[in-house]
Parts: sequence; C-alpha cells; structure tokens
Amino acid sequence: MRIKGGALVVGALAVALTATGCNATTNEGGSGDSGEAKTQSGSISYEAADNTGPAKAVDGATKGGVITVMQVSDFEHLDPARNYVNVQQLTGNLIYRSLAGYVEDGSGKMLLVGDLATNPGTDVNKDCKVWEFKLRDGLKYEDGSAVSSKDVAWGIARSFAPELNEGPHYIQQWLYPGGGYNATYKGPYEGGAMPAGIDTPDDKTIKFTFAEPHCDMPYAAALPTSAPVPQAKDTKGQYDLKPFSSGPYKVKSYTRDNALELERNPNWDANTDPIRTAYPDGYKFTFGLEQQQIAERLVADAPADQASLTWGDTPPAVLPRTTAANVANRVAKGPTQYVWYLGVNNLRIKDKKIREALYYGLDRDAALKAIGGTSAGTPASTLMSPTTAGFEAFDVYNAPPTGDVNKVKEILGGTTPPPLVLAHSNTALRTAQAEAIRASLVKAGFQVTLKAIESTSYYDQVGRKNNPYDLYLHGWGSDWPTGSTIIPPLYDGREIADEGNNNLAYFNDDSINTEIDKIRAMPAAEQDAAWTALDKKLMTDFLPEIPAYYDATHELYGSKVGNAYLSDAFGALQLNKIFVKQ
Amino acid sequence: MVRFLTRRVLVGVVTLIAISIIVFGLFFAVPSSPAKVMCGKNCDAASIAQVETRLGLREPIVTQYTKFMKGIFVGRTYADGTAFERRCDAPCLGYSFRNDEAVTTILSRTVPVTISIVIGAAILWLLIGVSLGMVSALRRGTLFDKLAIGISLTGASMQVFFFGLILLFLLVYTTGLLPFPSYTPFTENPAKWAQGLILPWVTLGFLNSAIYARLSRAQMLETLSEDFVRTARAKGLPLRRVYTKHALRAAITPIVTIAGLDIGASLGGTFITETIFGLRGLGKETVEAVGFLNLPIVVATVLLAAVFIVVANLIVDVLYAVIDPRVRLS
Repeated sequence: MRIKGGALVVGALAVALTATGCNATTNEGGSGDSGEAKTQSGSISYEAADNTGPAKAVDGATKGGVITVMQVSDFEHLDPARNYVNVQQLTGNLIYRSLAGYVEDGSGKMLLVGDLATNPGTDVNKDCKVWEFKLRDGLKYEDGSAVSSKDVAWGIARSFAPELNEGPHYIQQWLYPGGGYNATYKGPYEGGAMPAGIDTPDDKTIKFTFAEPHCDMPYAAALPTSAPVPQAKDTKGQYDLKPFSSGPYKVKSYTRDNALELERNPNWDANTDPIRTAYPDGYKFTFGLEQQQIAERLVADAPADQASLTWGDTPPAVLPRTTAANVANRVAKGPTQYVWYLGVNNLRIKDKKIREALYYGLDRDAALKAIGGTSAGTPASTLMSPTTAGFEAFDVYNAPPTGDVNKVKEILGGTTPPPLVLAHSNTALRTAQAEAIRASLVKAGFQVTLKAIESTSYYDQVGRKNNPYDLYLHGWGSDWPTGSTIIPPLYDGREIADEGNNNLAYFNDDSINTEIDKIRAMPAAEQDAAWTALDKKLMTDFLPEIPAYYDATHELYGSKVGNAYLSDAFGALQLNKIFVKQ
Repeated sequence: MVRFLTRRVLVGVVTLIAISIIVFGLFFAVPSSPAKVMCGKNCDAASIAQVETRLGLREPIVTQYTKFMKGIFVGRTYADGTAFERRCDAPCLGYSFRNDEAVTTILSRTVPVTISIVIGAAILWLLIGVSLGMVSALRRGTLFDKLAIGISLTGASMQVFFFGLILLFLLVYTTGLLPFPSYTPFTENPAKWAQGLILPWVTLGFLNSAIYARLSRAQMLETLSEDFVRTARAKGLPLRRVYTKHALRAAITPIVTIAGLDIGASLGGTFITETIFGLRGLGKETVEAVGFLNLPIVVATVLLAAVFIVVANLIVDVLYAVIDPRVRLS
C-alpha cells in the first residue's frame, strides 16, 4: 500500500507482511543486533502442530508486568473494519483474533496458521474459489460468551459500510468484483442483509464463495477484516474506542491522544491460541511525545522507562548514541516491506535507454544520507522488497551505490536527454532527498528541475494520469508478503485510471498483464517464484521505474523488555510474545 | 460599569463571529481536502466521496457554517436518518475529523493542561520578574542591580526550546532528579500535578520573568523621577509608603496591560513549551489539527484562543479603573 505523503507519515505505514528474503541488503553489523540478516522462509502451514495452541513458550520468559509503548500519535482506528496500519494491527492483535494469523519467533520462519480457525483456510474445490474456515472449540469473548462464525460474518458485513471504509477491502472486493467494493452492498445497518457469498451453516463454520479464484485467501483472512464482532456489541462509529475482546487483552481505559491501557481478558484460553503467549499483565500505549524525546528516554533507560519500547524510527540526532554497548543491544533494526522508487512517468519518458541512464545516474547513497543514512534503508535493485516470499537479490544493471556517470554517458551516446521535472512532497525529509537526487542526476548530465507539492495532496497530484511530471519519489509496501500486492497494483496497465493511480510509472504492457493473470491463478505456494521471475523480467526488459532503496526501521526498547524482535509480518516490534524481565 | 461591560461583551461576540467566518473561509481556500488526508489507504475517488459525505464537506460552505453555528447555540444532529445518527447537544463544536471524538471532549482535556502551565508560569514570572525589577530600580547601580539586569538580559535572549531542552537534559535524561513532565489533574493529586509541571513552569516563568524584570525596572525608575514622587518625599512621607503607595501603583499599570495580553495569548496555546515537554495542551492540539485539516478542532481552538484574548483585555480594562483612579469605565 501507499505511504501517505502528509502528516500521517508518522506510523502510518500499513500492514504488511514480511516473509522470505534477506541477503546482502539487510543491515550488516551492529553488535547484539536483533535485526541481523536472517534467512526468512515464511509460508502457509496446515500442520496440526503449528495450528494447535498453546503458543510455543519463550525460554526464560516470565509472566507479569506492564509493557509501555511510547508513540508520537494516537491510533486512528482500532475498529477491525477500519484498521489498516501496521502498528494498529499489532495492537489489534492483542485485543481481537482474525480467522488466520502469523506465528512468529523472530527467526524469520514466520508461519501463517489458523487463529480463530483450525487452519488458515480450506480450499474446498481446489480452485481457490470456495474457502471454508472451522472455528476452534473454547473461543470466548471478554464477557465469557462463545465466539460464533456469525460474528465473523457480521464483522465482514459491517466493513462494507461507507462510514467504516478505512480498512483493507480485499475480501469485500472479491465478494463483489467489478466496480467499487461497496457499490452494491453497503453493509448490514440499512435493512440488516448480509453480504452475498458468505455462508454460516452453523456457529463453527464460515464459507466464502468467490466468482474468481483467489489463492491468497489465507493471507487476506489474516487481516483484521475477519475479526469477530457480535451484532449486539457493535457500537458502530464508537467501536474504535472499545473493540469487544476475543483475544488475550481487553481495553481497560482509552483516553484519545493520551493513553490506551489494556488488561487481561480472563476468558481467553491460551490452549486455543497458537500465536500469542500473553506474558505481560497489561500494555500501556502513551501518545503525544515527540520521537526525539522518546528516543532520548529509551537511550537513558531510567527505571521508569525500562519496560518501554517504541515503534518509531530513531531520529538521526539520537542515532550516534545508540551504538554504545548498553544501548546497541536494545535496538531492533531491519528491512520493512516498503521499497522507495524513483518513479518514471512512462507516458513522458518512453525510451527505455533514458530510464536506464537514470538508473545509473541515481546516487542511492546520497538519497539515503539525506534521510538518515544506513538506518533509513539500503540501496535497491529489485521492484519487490527483501521481505517478500520468494525474494531473490538479483541486480540486472549492477550500478554502484553512488551511481556511474561514465555509464550514463555511454548509454546516452552523445544525445541530450530531455529536461526533466522531479516532483516531491514538501516535507523536510523528502525535500532534502529530492535535492540530493537532483544533484546526482545533474552530475550525470541530466537537466532536472524540482517541483515541491504540498504533502497532503502529493499522491493525488502524481496519481493523475496526465500529470506534468517526469520523475517522482514514491514508496510502496505489500499488504501481505507475496508479490500479489506489489506487482499487480504497481505494474498492471489495465488498472490505470484518470486519477488515483498506484501505477505511477503509468506502465502498460500486454505481455506483463497476461503474465499477471496467469500467476494469480496459480496455487499460493507456486506464486512466490513466479512473482520473482516477473520482477526480473520487468527489470530486464522494461525497467518501468527505478528502485531506489529498501526502507528499514530502527526501533529502541528498554532493558527490561524481553524477547523483543521485529515482526516478520508487520515490520515493527512484535508484541505477541514479548515479556517484562523480572 | 454595566453599560461598559455590555458594550465590550457585544463587541467581543462580533469579533468572535468575524473570526469564525475567516477561519471557515481560509479552511476552504486550502486546495486539499481533509478526506484525502484522512481516508486511509484506500484513497480512490469513491472512498474520498464517502468520507466527504460523512464529514458533511459536500454541502455548500454557507450551509456548513450555519449548521456549525447552530450547533454551538442549540445543538445539532449528525448523519440524520441513518444507523449512524447521533445527537450533539449545545454547545456542540462538532466531532474531530480524524478520530470522531467530540471537540468539546477534546477541549475539556487539553484546556486544563494549558491553563495549568500558564497559571503556574505566570505566577512565577510576575513574582520573580516584578519584584526583581522593583528592587533593582530602588537599588540602582548596586551590584544587585547589575547582577539582576545581567541575568534578565540572558533570560530575555534565550528561547524556550533551548532552555527547556537544557533543563530536560540536566534534570531528567542524565541525573534523573525529576520525572519526565506529565499532566495529572489538580483535583486528582495536587502534588503530582505540580511535580509534573515544574519544568515547564520554570522554563516559561524564567524566560518571561526576565522581560518583566526589565520592564518593571524601567517603569519604576521612570516613576521615581516624576514630580509627584518628589512631592511625596518632600512632604516627609516615609520612603516605604512613597514606594509602595505612590510609585508602585503608577508603575504597575503598563505591566498589568502587558501581563493581561501575555497571559491571554499564552492560554490560547503554548505550543513550543507543550511540545518540548510532551504535554498535550491547546497549542499542540491546534497545530496538529491544522496539519490534519481537522476543521472542527481548528475553528474551536482558534475561537477559544480569541475568547481568552478578548476576556483578558476586558479584565485588564477593569483592573485599570481599580489601580488608577484617573481611569473611569464608560
């Protein structure tokens, strides 16, 4: 999904899942670095051992204590129908359970398993069109009542309501293909009808019937969309403040913009849950501090802050102090699911040669230095992130990180490239970065003018098909760790509309479009390699735009936080198995 | 007096209405839509339209303004005739675009924070600043005077974001003498309230007291050279009486004016202080709301800040009459 250009940037990175990957691009070095390069091999598991609770215990973990999460901004939405941001999903995961979920231990061997359901979804007819989920025994809400598959259906139904439209819309769009996801069915509130294609023959079963094959359904079922919401507990617009708990914790108090406190849900049974260990007695999320203050406090590690952590990146000013031995072992760093591109408008730059020259002209090191250096990311040579299943660290063009001016001249062969306009969001960070990119391209012989666009309307402007810009910076992250939420939204030319485009390269090629359809119909297990092959083909034959760098995160935590690791699935510190050292 | 107050209140109300119109107008002159800032990740044209409809932004601007004003005086109903219908009783300032919280709730949470910061700091800066200035004036040319002037010059030339960060670094991050500032309601625990706010008080109080010290010293010196002071002394009045009864009273009038304006303006939000110390007051709320194009909060906070200024001015004018017998309210 798109990174927002404006004030939302703080923590507004979406869900996404990180599975396989890693290679030369992950962070090297750093003693005691919990984000060490690791070989990831995420997959969907139907093994009974993986799909049965309780979750595997963590060595040395103890129950009790409260983990504090210090954040700059309050969450926008915890209502599962509206929850689309990675840190909101990590939090939501403590309060409610979806049909499927990710078992993680920080080793990179993330597994997608059944959460409420006994497995991550049964493909009934082996055509990816009908999916069935059976709920586990012993699932209870915070008031002790049983979780019913009808509540899952209600949760999905309400996510169609125009008033609750902020969440992911995969399942909704699959149930109602063609046109907007809620153009036909607008939720259960007006008249009470349930969406077509969802059946709940009994309280333990829910069945989805799609017109088209959707082999990614197990991943979509891990989104908060499928969290159960009992109709009687549905407070509509106010559900954000107090989602009814089906997970190990429930909302104790929530003062918007100040603090959210979670306490144990005594009716949650660890034996039904293969994902969460629920060691702390509670969590406290505090909002309103600047990232700099948070980082300073975590570096200082005062007794009151020792069981605290943050999901925000360490600001450059504090970074030098995080290398001291007693701080370095309290840093989690690694790649996120985001890749930043130097987008090239193919409607204006039609010649692949020029794009190739731009590829060599770009000084990736300088672009990264402008936003904080190696803790902000590593140079990219592929369209998909290292966190994608099946990722392969190929490099078709082998450009050095600082660019290759001679190679640019060789490719252009004495011809003068057209003057280029580079658009960027007008935030301090992006302006500095655009200036660095411009300088490197000018050095390589391009004529580049910068165009700053107001951050809140940045993606609007570059998302218009006939925009007057040649180059623009943009980031993209997958919604789950396969190529299916990267390649199609970014490079399927049939999706190009007059405005609101994600395909900012405005790239359209029939052979690629056909290939996308072919891969989508493959079983999930076979898709990974196929997306990687398509990434390679796009890079070699077309070079639709220029991958600049893989985004990275650098998060601090206190000395009493145990088992802190970056979630493979969400690219931020995972809370499911964290504990307070006693 | 009554006529004076009535007239001033009426003028104040007209000012506030004018401000509300200007804020509304400016808001809609911005090329972006709050729906685009807030519709999350599915920002296609259809979702933007849905969000704009939900926020009522698709209605003509005059209708939106009328509904907003109506809400303040008699309350209003949102999402009429749908499952999401809800009543917002007067004084209704609407709901935050970002998280749907009632603006009145947000204000009732953030205003006490700012008031607590400002009141504590104002007491500090008036006590320290004015007494330091007065004593300096009376002991003009002594070591005390020079020292006080030197310190106040340093203070007056420093900035909150510099001084505040130094205090944080020395007292919180490195030595841990004080906890990181936080807000506890006074009614809940006065000791914790004061402990959590001591750093912002000292920061804001020290910097402002420098200005007040210089101001009151200059005023006092000027007054002391006036004829009536000489007359009073010639009549044989004790010095103490001359200073406190005659000179001080005359010197303090301009200080009251400035203090009134300063306090009124600070109550509208002490953004930098709030940000440095991680306190969510009116200032931080306003600036963040502007970033999110969160119209209901922007209008409410701007109006409230204006109310503070108008009221502070009114109080200053009334105080004038009390302090200076030559002034009559009419």
